[in-house]
Formats: sequence, structure tokens, C-alpha cells
Amino acid sequence: MTPSRVPASYQPLRQFKNRVATGLITAGGIAVLLAILAIGVFLFWETLPLLALDKTFAFDKLSPLVWGTLKAALAAMLFALPIALGAAMYSALFMSARLRSRIKPTLEMMEAMPGVVVGFIAGLVLAPWVERNLASTLVLLVWLPISAGLAGVLWHMASSHWHRRLPFSWAGLWLVPWLVGMVALAVWLTPLLEQLFLGGDLRRWLEQRWGMDYATRNALIVGIAMGFAVIPSIYSLAEDALADVPLSMMEGAQALGASRWQALWKVALPAAGPGIFSAVMIGMGRAVGETMIVLMASGNTALLSASPFEGMRSMASAIAIELPEASPGGFTYHHLILAALVLFLFTFLVNTLAEAVRLRMRRRYHKAGHY
Amino acid sequence: MLASLDIANAPQAPVTHFSSEHCALSIEQFNLAYAGKSALRNLTLSVPRHRVTAFIGPSGCGKSTLLRAINRLHDLNESVEHSGHIQLEGQDIYAAQMNVTELRRRVGMVFQTPNPFPMSIYENVAFGLRLQHRLPKRQRDDIIEWALTSAALWDEVKDRLHRSAWQLSGGQQQRLVIARTLAVQPDVLLLDEPASALDPISTLKIEELIRNLKSQLTLILVTHNMQQAARVSDYTAFLHNGELVEYGPTDQVFTNPHLQRTENYITGRMT
Amino acid sequence: MSRLFAAAPRHRLDKLWPWLCAASVALSLLMLSALLTLLLVRGLGHFWPATLEEITLRSGSVVAGQAIRETPLPQEAGVERLYFKGNRDVDGVSWHWVDIDDITSRTTPHDLIRLERAPWGSFIGRLAAVETDQQSLHGHEAWDYLNNALTLPANQRPPGQLLLVTAQGETLRQPLDSVSQALAPNAMSWWQKTHTWGTNVWQFLSEGPRAANTSGGVWPAIFGTVLMVILMSVIVTPFGVLAAIYLNEIAHQNRLTRLVRIGVRNLAGVPSIVYGVFGLGVFVYGIGGTLDSWFFSDTLPSPTFGTGGLLWASLTLALLTLPVVIVATEEGLARIPDAQREGAVALGATRLEMLTRIVLPMATPAMLTGVILAIARAAGEVAPLMLVGVAKLAPQMPVDGEFPYVHLERKFMHLGYHLFDTAFHGEDVQAAMPLVYATALLLVVIILVLNLTAIFLRHYFRRQRGSEC
Repeated sequence: MTPSRVPASYQPLRQFKNRVATGLITAGGIAVLLAILAIGVFLFWETLPLLALDKTFAFDKLSPLVWGTLKAALAAMLFALPIALGAAMYSALFMSARLRSRIKPTLEMMEAMPGVVVGFIAGLVLAPWVERNLASTLVLLVWLPISAGLAGVLWHMASSHWHRRLPFSWAGLWLVPWLVGMVALAVWLTPLLEQLFLGGDLRRWLEQRWGMDYATRNALIVGIAMGFAVIPSIYSLAEDALADVPLSMMEGAQALGASRWQALWKVALPAAGPGIFSAVMIGMGRAVGETMIVLMASGNTALLSASPFEGMRSMASAIAIELPEASPGGFTYHHLILAALVLFLFTFLVNTLAEAVRLRMRRRYHKAGHY
Repeated sequence: MLASLDIANAPQAPVTHFSSEHCALSIEQFNLAYAGKSALRNLTLSVPRHRVTAFIGPSGCGKSTLLRAINRLHDLNESVEHSGHIQLEGQDIYAAQMNVTELRRRVGMVFQTPNPFPMSIYENVAFGLRLQHRLPKRQRDDIIEWALTSAALWDEVKDRLHRSAWQLSGGQQQRLVIARTLAVQPDVLLLDEPASALDPISTLKIEELIRNLKSQLTLILVTHNMQQAARVSDYTAFLHNGELVEYGPTDQVFTNPHLQRTENYITGRMT
Repeated sequence: MSRLFAAAPRHRLDKLWPWLCAASVALSLLMLSALLTLLLVRGLGHFWPATLEEITLRSGSVVAGQAIRETPLPQEAGVERLYFKGNRDVDGVSWHWVDIDDITSRTTPHDLIRLERAPWGSFIGRLAAVETDQQSLHGHEAWDYLNNALTLPANQRPPGQLLLVTAQGETLRQPLDSVSQALAPNAMSWWQKTHTWGTNVWQFLSEGPRAANTSGGVWPAIFGTVLMVILMSVIVTPFGVLAAIYLNEIAHQNRLTRLVRIGVRNLAGVPSIVYGVFGLGVFVYGIGGTLDSWFFSDTLPSPTFGTGGLLWASLTLALLTLPVVIVATEEGLARIPDAQREGAVALGATRLEMLTRIVLPMATPAMLTGVILAIARAAGEVAPLMLVGVAKLAPQMPVDGEFPYVHLERKFMHLGYHLFDTAFHGEDVQAAMPLVYATALLLVVIILVLNLTAIFLRHYFRRQRGSEC
């Protein structure tokens, strides 16, 4: 019954192949890893010649760029943070599971939207519209949150019949038409208010009263456009962090009489804090390094101005515009590489921080036995 | 068969030893440390050919570690250090000239949870064969049929040899893994709690299979299930804290152990 | 109202905060759908043959053209409307702002036609006659003759001239072989318009740009993008997989491996422009310059490889997407249970056999996902390409019939950069806008499709595995 044993035929060859392949993979793997880690080394190396030159000069040229970068990133974060974190809280804790399984991938698809498209819309569509409707835009920034609250008040007043028809767990979806209506209302009403109080032209009033110039492409536009671009990454990571908070913790708080919002605020947020922090950090890293949106929506004026209605030039866009023209080895070349090094170090550090915090959180949960 | 059975001083249990013509595997003074932590201490043991030997002991006693050491599976992990000897048919398996892949072919291993590969039933059994030989299809088919028959699985799968192995039930998967190991015709088969993840009926089938297989090869069974060890094995070794406490014929270990510690464990007073 | 405020004051705002959060989701969805709708409507609407209007102004002058949009007049009440009237050769501009109050009559005559011509772009007006060597045709005959002639390629058409009349009454002569399309949109049925729309979309996808990127298509940009992405994937896949296998299967798992892993993960967050700088400094100036001085010294100082080109762009993007591929592959490898590896090894497989026969086949979906995500990222990246190799208008395609057929050193056109350049550096941005929208839409569609493919693949393979487990 037992078949006769066949002698193994090509043993030495198998061992040889294995040894060669392992060696090749090791060599190749190390080479690839070194190649990508070489980026930092290259940037350091190419900035060294700057040390021989006058340092203050390099600093003077860099400071408006650093300022512009921070201003753009700050504007974007101001716009993105409330929306992204609010959306994360709602979809992790209030949204119906079925809606969530649709909405989350949709919002994550936003992340794939190429910067050049967002920048084009911001620079050529949004910027002229905002210039014509500055008052409406500013009113919208205040009016939208108020109208959301208004929706809440109306909903709580409504009968339970409406509560069943329009459940809060689906509000993320059915609030869309409500917001569209509110936007339309604001855009229709604001010019009338502007007429009444500001003499019909907010921009002229700003200039006369406060001496503020208005550039078509400015920090406000960059903030909205780049905010739009970083919302999905912050949202996605923060939502993961919140959804990872063990349900038992929330339920424990609610069992003690806390409202769902209090449970979220007092229990879930602190527990997910590190994850949310790393989400914000990663969003910040993206905002600092984004090139095309700033390039197309900012006007590219290297100004040291804090006004939200004036443009700026960021390090990334300066590199994109000036580096192809700079002669290799010249001052501008090294100076722009210094800008790239600053970007590299900043984003690398921010990401490392985020990763470290995230890992620590994961380990903590591990210890608590929740995974 | 028992070459020597001398009474030693308490608390030492008598040493069971087999002469070289009956001994498939002998372990001498074997020590193993995992990341600096000692897992096996000074183990000496010989395993008889064509018999089922069971390793029992509380979890963490080192029985699985010992099994993996016999297959040199610890080679994949760098933080493991060992000393002493394990001899398979008189050859030191840790010797420099030992071919590890050949050793693993000769010492088959079946794991706690069934791990069929994500391919068809046929390909699963053919996997080891294809590594070793280039056989004509006829001959390969014969070996596969033989292996599946030996593992008592042939009748259940002969009509669906080319379906995915992951569609089988847990017990069938475990027998498939045994068939896959048998196909390369090992001398020793190591079974690491092979039935712990299975339902009672599948467990009985596996136990029956183990009893039938000892006519073909030497089996070593690690189990935490005392009844299983008693039902299946010819010899039983009780390990505790990485040391061998008592080793002898199963009947004797279970009915009349030499040491109080063994009796405590077997009667459930120590886990 | 009372029910809401009857609650303890502490709870009053607690009930409203969640609504702000819900509105955040709604606002994000609103912005996303607004952006997509805008791109869809403007991007696809441009190809629809628009109605041509003829308006008479209070001053008595007549304008024929396509109404584009309306805006309120600055500083005063009233609305003005922008018309595209073409005929740049007649009066120098092709746009006309009209105060709506000045319009005395507005008609859509069926005999208004729109021609696309090679040197001067669009003509909007009337066809008076077609003059050939033998005859002069008028009215319907002329129109039919023109349409017949347009079915032939330009160089095979019979010699002839079109006698055109603008709305103002000026006449001009247009050689027959300079016309690429003739439409009388007001006389077209819905079906004919749909057909023309399809033809226009096809032309946009299959032709090269004309008239300083304000008309024509984006075929060279599509081609350049696809070619670069293919080259990039060919480079990034083996190297990414190799690095992931080394990191996960072969390297000792210790503190250094963990650090390298975090480093690689973080490199995915480094701005793309930094990779562009690296590509420019190392690939273009470093390696390219050296190659030039070794092999192409006869053509120096004009560089061959020492300037941006297809190869360097692909390499730079490959470097940029390496972390994506490595991370995705590593995740796939880490998901494979050790039992599978041990099962293979316990049967006497060498490490190579275990990797190639068990581990790699199981990790293939993860690798595929990684590569598709890399492609999606690379297709949308523009910033690094500005440093290492795109061109506004590449004179030669990177692939042609000339040896060695694929010219890795050539500059190439890219959809994203084409969009940026046309929108921000074009001569007549207003005229190019519809094409910019169409290009943006195309880019978004390509990237969305790639991402959806990745999501679908991941989902599909997970479910398949789940059901079999």
C-alpha cells in the first residue's frame, strides 16, 4: 500500500536558490530603504554650501515664505478642524451604521481629489465669486453653524412623527438640502443687509474704515480650498480613533446619567485624544506641504501680512515656481533646497510625533485588554 | 521493549530508555531559552519507533516548545538559543551538516489550528511532493490518493479534489493537513494539540487516525486533554516548568505514577 | 421651544452640539457634491452645441454669439451678460459684455452657423456662399456642399473658399481646408445635438490641443500621463514589494526595523514637492548630468538627460509612491497567519519556496491595492512634475516610429499640468475655461475610478477570504 519512497532529486539546487534569493532580497530591500531614506541626506548635503554664505541673508529670503506657509496652513486648519472633527464625532457616535458605511468611504474619496483640480476651482471659480460676494461669504461662515443649531431647535420642537421620518442618526444626509436652502437664503439676504448697514459695498468699507486691501486670491480662499483638501484625512483618522473607543466606556458613563454628548465630551474625547491629536498633526503636515492649491489660490505674493484678505507665497509653491529656473549650484538653488529641507523636517517630525502618539495609545488599549 | 526500568531515589522518577534499534528520536540534555528566558531545562528523553508518545503538562510547561524544537521551527526566530542534542535515527538534527528542509520533510508537523493553504485540496497534498520531486502525474496522483486514504479523508473528498481546501470543515481540514504531511512520507509525525480546535466527533476521528497511523510511523502527540493521552498514546511524558517530571508507559503513568506531582496533575489537583 | 429649554440649563447646549456635528457631515457632503456637479456640468456641457443668439442693441449694432453668463453691474443696478462671439480676426476680441437693458431684440435664427477654423478659432455668423473653381453655391446648396467637404480630410478637399458674413454685415473669405467643423446649432434636432456632443467628446479625448490650448483635445496629455504612470508602476512595484518582503519576512524584527518602518510610513506624509526637489537634484542634475557628459557630450551644452524628462519624472514619482506600496504590501504580509508559513516550512519548504508559493500569492491582493493607490496618487500629482519633466506643449510624443521608439529623455504632457498651465498661463483663459473644466473632470474621473478599483479589490478579496475561512 505504502508507495515506495522516491529519492529527492534536486536538493542542493533548492538550497542554493534559496540562499541566492534571500541574499538578493536582503540586498535589494536594504538598497530601496536606503534610497528613500537618502532624501533627507541629500537635502542636508545640498544646504551645506549656504553655511559658507551670509546666513542672515538666507534667513531674510526665507522668512516671508515660512510666514506664508504657516498662514496658509493656519487658515486651512481653522476651516478644516471644526468641520472634520465635528463630522468625525457625529459619524463615530451618532450616525446610523448603514449610513456610516456609505458616508465614510465617500468622504475618504475626497482625499483623492487632486490638488490641481481643487486649486483650479478655488482660484478661478471660488475666488472671483467671493470677491463679488465677500459679505455673503463672511455671513455664511457665521450663518451656517447658526442654521445647524436652528435645525436642532426645530427638530426638538417637532412631533415624534417627524422624529421617525427624519431620525437624528440620518441627519448628516437630510441636513444637506436644509443647508442648501440656508446658503441660498444668506446669499439672497446679505446684499440687502450690506445695502442697509455698509453702504452697499463691504470691500470699500473695509478699505476706508480699516485700511484693508483686498486681493482676489487671498488667505481666505486658500483656507477654504486647502481646508477642503485636508478635511478627509483629519476626519478619517479622528473617526477611527473615536470609533476605537470601547463602547463599554461610553455606556458606563451614560449609565451614570450623562447625556450622550456629555459621555462623548467627558469620556470618548479624552480616550481618543491621542488619536485625534495625531489626526490633526497629519492634517497639518498635509496643509504645510500642499503645493498646487496654494500656488493656484493664493496670488503668490511674498508678503508678511496677517490680513486674511491678502495673498501669500508658501515654501512649496516658491520651490515649484523658482527651482526649475534656478541654476544648479547658485544661491537661489541652495536657498530653495533649504526651504525643501525645512518642509521635509517639519512634516517628518510632525508625522513621527503623530505615529508615536498613535502607537502609545494602541499599546495603552492593549494593556486595558480592549483589543 | 523496555530496556531498563530502574528505581531511582525519590523524588526522581524511573528513567525509561529504549535501545537504539527501537528508538526513533532521542533527546539528550536539551536546553532551550526564548529571549533569554529558559523554556526547556536539561531534558533527556527517548521516543520509541512506531508508537504514540504523548507529552502532557500544564500550559506553559514547554511541551509545544519541545515539539517545535524537534522540527527546528525555532530557526525562524532569532531570539531562541539552545544547547544539548536531539538525535533523529542517530543523527544530530542541530549538526551543521544537517539539511533543515530534509529534516522537516522527515519530521512532519501538524498544528493546533488546521492551516490548509489557500489552494485546492489536491494542491495542498501535492505541495510537499512538488517541493521534493518532479514526479509524473500518474505517480503523484497515486501518492495523493494514498495519503488521503491514510488520513481517512479520501472517501469524503475524492469527488472534489480541485475545490478550495478552505471549504472543508475544521475536522476535515485537520485530516487534510495530516494527509499533506503524510504525502512526503515522514519518519516522525509531530501533532501539536491537533484536536483542541475541533468538535467531539472530529476529535474521535483524529484519535482513531492517530492509532491507525502508528503502523507507518512514529507519532508524538502534545495534548492538554488527559483522557486523549490515555486513549491514544503508548507512552506518556509529563513535563512541568520546562523539565521532564515522569516518563513511562501510559498505563503506568496514569494508573500508578511514581511521583506525587504527576498524580496531582493527572487527577486534576494541579493545573 | 419649551420642551427644549425646560431641560436643565446645562443640557440645553448639549442638545445642540450634536447638530453642529451633523451639519459638518452635511457640509462636507455638500461641498464635495457641489464640486463634482460643477465639474460635471461645465466639463460635459461645453461639448453640447450651444444655442446661438442674435441680439440688436439700442445703439443699432448687431451681435451674434453664445450667451455665457450674467453678472450684476459693478457699482450700479442692472445686469450685464457675456457673449462669446468668436471672429477674432474681424475685430480682435472674441468676447462681448452687453448691458441687458441695452438689448432691444433677441432672436435665435436658424441660419446662424459656427465654424471651427485653424488659425483664428471660432467664427459665428452666416454662410453666404461657397466658391469653387467651377461654381458658386448659395443657401442650402452651399451648406450641404460644406458639410460634404468636411467629411474629407483637409488635404483631400477640393480647393474652394467660403464667403462668410458676420452679424455686423462684414464679409470675409475662408479657405475650405482651414475649417475643421461647421455647425448650425439652432437648426439642429435634439438627436443631432447628442450626436455632435458625442463627436466633440471623442475629439476632446483623441486630438491634440489647438489654438494655444483653447480648443482641440488633450490626447497627448492623456498619453503622457498614462505612459508616465505605467513606467512608474513598472519601477515601483518590484522595488516596493522587495523592500516590504525584506522588512517583514527576512529582517530581524528589532528596534531598528521598527524605526525603519515608522520612517517609511512617515515618508508617505512628506510633501510631494520635496520629492520633486530630490528628483531634480539627484536624477536630473546628478545622474542625468553625468550621463550627458559620458554619452552625449557632442550635443552639450544643450542637455539630453540632464533636463527634466519622462524617465526622471517616472523615477521621481516611483520614489514618491514607494512608501504607499511598501506599507500596503507589508500590511498584506502581516495579515497572513504565521500558521501558513509554518505549515509550508514544516513540509520541508525552503524560505524562498515558502515565500513564492504561499506568502506572495496570498499577499497579491494587498500588493495590487498598493500599486493602484500609488497610481491614483501619481496620476494626480503635479507639483513634482513641474521640476522634473512636463512641458506645456511637447513637440514630439515620447513614443514614435523612430529608433529606439520610446524616448525616455523627452519631455511629455501631463493632464494635471496641462490643466494648471491652461488655466493660469493661457493667453485667453476665458476661452480655454470649458476645456479646463473638461480636463479637470477627466482627471477626477480617472483618479476616482482608480481609487474605486482599489477599494473594490480590497473588499472583494477580503470577502472571498472571509467566506472561505
